[in-house]
Amino acid sequence: MAKAKDTIRQIASFQGIMMVLVAAVLLAATSIIQSYYARRGLLMQAEQQASRELTISQLRIEDITDPVEAVVDNTAWMVEMNLSNPDSLHFMLRKILDNNPILADAAIGFAANYYPDKGYWYEPVVARRDNGEYEEMVLGSPSHDYFNLDWYSGTAKTGERKWSEPYYDESAGRTTVITYSSPVRDTEGNIVAVISADLTLEWLAELLQDVQPYPNTYSTLVSQNGQLLVTSSADRTPQDVIEYTRLIESTGWIMSIVIPRNEIFRTVNRLSEFLGLLQLLGLGLLAFIAVRSVKDQSKLEKVRSKKDKLDNELRIAREIQMAMLPKTFPPFPERNDVDLTATIVPAKEVGGDIYDFFIRNDKLFFCIGDVSGKGVPAALVMAVTRSLFRTVSAHEKSPMRIVSSMNESMSEMNDSNMFVTFFCGVLNLNSGHLRYCNAGHNAPLVLADKVERLSVVPNLPLGVMPEMQYEEQDCYLAEGNSLFMYTDGITEAENASREQFGESRAMETLGVGLDVTENQERILSSVKAFVGEAERSDDLTMLIVRYLGADKSKESRRSLVLRNDIQQIPHLAEFILSIADEKHLGNSVATNLNLALEEAVTNVMLYAYPKDTEGIIEIEALIKDNSLIFKVMDSGKPFDPTSVPEVDVTKDLADRPIGGLGIHLVRKIMDEVRYSREDGRNIFTMIKNI
Amino acid sequence: MEVNIIENESVITVELKGRMDTAASQEVSGKILPLQEKAENTIVMDCSQLSYISSSGLRLFLALRKSAAVKGGKVVVRNINDDIRTVFMMTGFLNLFQIETA
Repeated sequence: MAKAKDTIRQIASFQGIMMVLVAAVLLAATSIIQSYYARRGLLMQAEQQASRELTISQLRIEDITDPVEAVVDNTAWMVEMNLSNPDSLHFMLRKILDNNPILADAAIGFAANYYPDKGYWYEPVVARRDNGEYEEMVLGSPSHDYFNLDWYSGTAKTGERKWSEPYYDESAGRTTVITYSSPVRDTEGNIVAVISADLTLEWLAELLQDVQPYPNTYSTLVSQNGQLLVTSSADRTPQDVIEYTRLIESTGWIMSIVIPRNEIFRTVNRLSEFLGLLQLLGLGLLAFIAVRSVKDQSKLEKVRSKKDKLDNELRIAREIQMAMLPKTFPPFPERNDVDLTATIVPAKEVGGDIYDFFIRNDKLFFCIGDVSGKGVPAALVMAVTRSLFRTVSAHEKSPMRIVSSMNESMSEMNDSNMFVTFFCGVLNLNSGHLRYCNAGHNAPLVLADKVERLSVVPNLPLGVMPEMQYEEQDCYLAEGNSLFMYTDGITEAENASREQFGESRAMETLGVGLDVTENQERILSSVKAFVGEAERSDDLTMLIVRYLGADKSKESRRSLVLRNDIQQIPHLAEFILSIADEKHLGNSVATNLNLALEEAVTNVMLYAYPKDTEGIIEIEALIKDNSLIFKVMDSGKPFDPTSVPEVDVTKDLADRPIGGLGIHLVRKIMDEVRYSREDGRNIFTMIKNI
Repeated sequence: MEVNIIENESVITVELKGRMDTAASQEVSGKILPLQEKAENTIVMDCSQLSYISSSGLRLFLALRKSAAVKGGKVVVRNINDDIRTVFMMTGFLNLFQIETA
C-alpha cells in the first residue's frame, strides 16, 4: 500500500515537474500556450476538489440517513412480531426517536380497517416537540387521509423501502421533512401497514454551507423528482459556471456544486495582465500549483485507499467470524455415542449466523442462531453471542438458564434494536435426554421414525425484552435419531422465479437413519439445485446432531468417597487393589498406583479444607481398555498441583527440600496429569496407560 | 505399622514393619524424629519387613539424613524390597543414602 502511494506520488510529482518545464519553455515562446496549460491544470484541480467535496458530503448525508433506515427497518420487524398488541406501538415509535435525535416524528399507518375497533384509519404517531417532550397521537381522518400520501401509498403498493419527496408536514412535526418508509407484513407476507420516520432538513442547509472550495461557489440538492431540497445561495443569476454533480444513491438525490469559471481561473487571468513583467513569478506560481496537485493527488489516493481498506476489513471480519466457529468434523472422533456436523455456506455479504457446541461431563451443549440484519454490525453481534454462550454455559447446564442469562446481557446493551433468534440444547449422552430452550428461532426437525418438526415454544428472540421468561422443554432421542437445526437462509433460499425452498422440501430431502454428513450433503445439493443461477442473499447454516446411544463398550466406573482424615488412607489401598484385580495388574503396578493416589489424596486431606472443618474427597476411577483414569475431586480452596515446580532429584543433600516429593511421585508414576476447576471443585485427573 | 528402635553403642537400628503410609508415618514420627538428636551415630533403617512407603515416610528418612550430615553420622538403609527401591530411584534417594542388602 505504502509503496503504491509512493509510486503515485512520484508519478504525480513527475507530472508536476513536466508541467513546470513545458510551461517555462512555452512562457518564453508564447504566453497563449502558457495560459492554456495553466487553465487546464486549474480545471483539473477544480474537478478534483469538487469531486472530493461531493464525496465528503455524500458520506455525511449517508451518515445521517443510514442509521434512520436501520432503526426503521428493525422496528418494522418488531411491529410484525407484535401485530396482536396495537397498544405497544407508541412505545416502539418512542424507541425510534430515542435512538435518533434528528428525527422529528415516527408513525405507523395501518391498512384500512386493519383493527376493526380502531376505525377505517389508524395511524399511531409520536412527534418530538420543541421542548424535547414527546407527543403521542393517533392520526388518520378524512382530512388527514394518509392513504393518499406519498410515504404510505408508494410503500404499501410495492413493498419498497424508500425515502419520500420533501413536503411540509402539517399534522405531526409542522416543518419540512422527508420520510423514510418501510413495509410491515403479516405472517402471510401481506403488507398491513407502513412504518415511517420523518427527518427534518435543517441539517442539510448547514451541510451545504460547509461546501466552499472556491469563493462564490454554491451547492444544491435536488430530489428524485427534481424538486429543490436546499441550496446554499439565494442568488443564482446565470453566469459562466461549471457544475459538478453526484447521485446520492440511498435517497436518490442529486447534489451539485456550481463554481464560477472566473473563480477557477482567477489566478491565471490576473497573471496574464502582468505577463510581460512577471514571467519568472508565473513560473514560480506554476511550480506552486504543481506541488498543490501532488498534494491533491495524494488526498484522492487516501479516499481510494480508504475504500480498499474498508473492503479488506469486511473480508477480515468475515474470516474472524468464521474462525470463531468449530470447524473440525467429526468433532469427537473418540466418542461413539454421538456424531455431529455443522456448516455455514457464506453469502456474498457478511451475515450473522452462528452455531457452536462442546461436550462437558458427557453432555453435549449446542446452539444455533441468526442475528437480524447483515454486515459488520451483525457479525459483531454474532461474535458477542458466541462468547456469551461460551461464558454462560461454562457453569450452567440448563438451556433455559443459559438462554435467559444471555438474553439479559444482550437486552441491556442493545442500543441498535438488533436481536438474535437462538436455539440451545443440552443432550445427555448417557441417556439421550434432550433439554432445550428456544428463543424465537425456527423449530428444528427431528429425524426419528419419520421427519417431523420438534415441538417448540417460540418465545422471543434474544435482546428484545430483558425480563422475558423463557420456557424449557425436553424430549428423548432414541438411538440413531438426529436433530436437524438450521437458519432461515435454507428455507428462504429463492430460485429465479422467487419461490422459496421451504421447510417441506427440507423434510423431504432429509433421510431418517442417515449419517450426519450424508444428510448435510443432501440438503446442500438440494438447495443448490433448487436455487440454480439465482444469487443467494443469506448464509446457509445448519447443525445436525445424531445420537448413537449410550456407549456400552465404555469403561466401567468406580468411585470412593473419603473424609479429609488421614486415618481413611487405608481404604484407598483396598479400592486400588480391587481395580488392579479386575484389570489383572501386577503387584508392583498396583503398589505404584496406590502410592500416586495416596499422594494426591493426602495433599487434599492436608491442605484443601481449613483445619478442623470436615470435607469430602471423591475419587473416581474410569477403567478403560488400555488406560486407567483417576479423578480426585474436592470442594476446598482452589489449588493446582500441576503448578508445583518439579523437584530436582539430582541435587545434593543440602539443597534437597523436605517437601514436594508427593507430587513428584505422582508425575513419575502417571503418564499424564491434569488439573481443572469446575463448578467450584478442584478436579485433579491422573491417567495411567496399561 | 510397628517400629522398634534398638540402640547398641554407636549403632542405632530402626526396624520398620508393615505399611508406612501417610497415617502410619504421622503415628511413628514421634519415635523416629527424636533420633535426629543422636545423628552423630550410625543409624540403620532396617526395611526387611517394610512393604510400602509414601512421601510422608520418605520425609522422615530425609530428616534423619540431613541431621546426620550436620552431625557427622550416617544413615544406612538396609534390605529394601523392589517396590521401595523403585520409589527411592524415582526420588533420587538411591544417591542420598547408603543402601545395603544383607
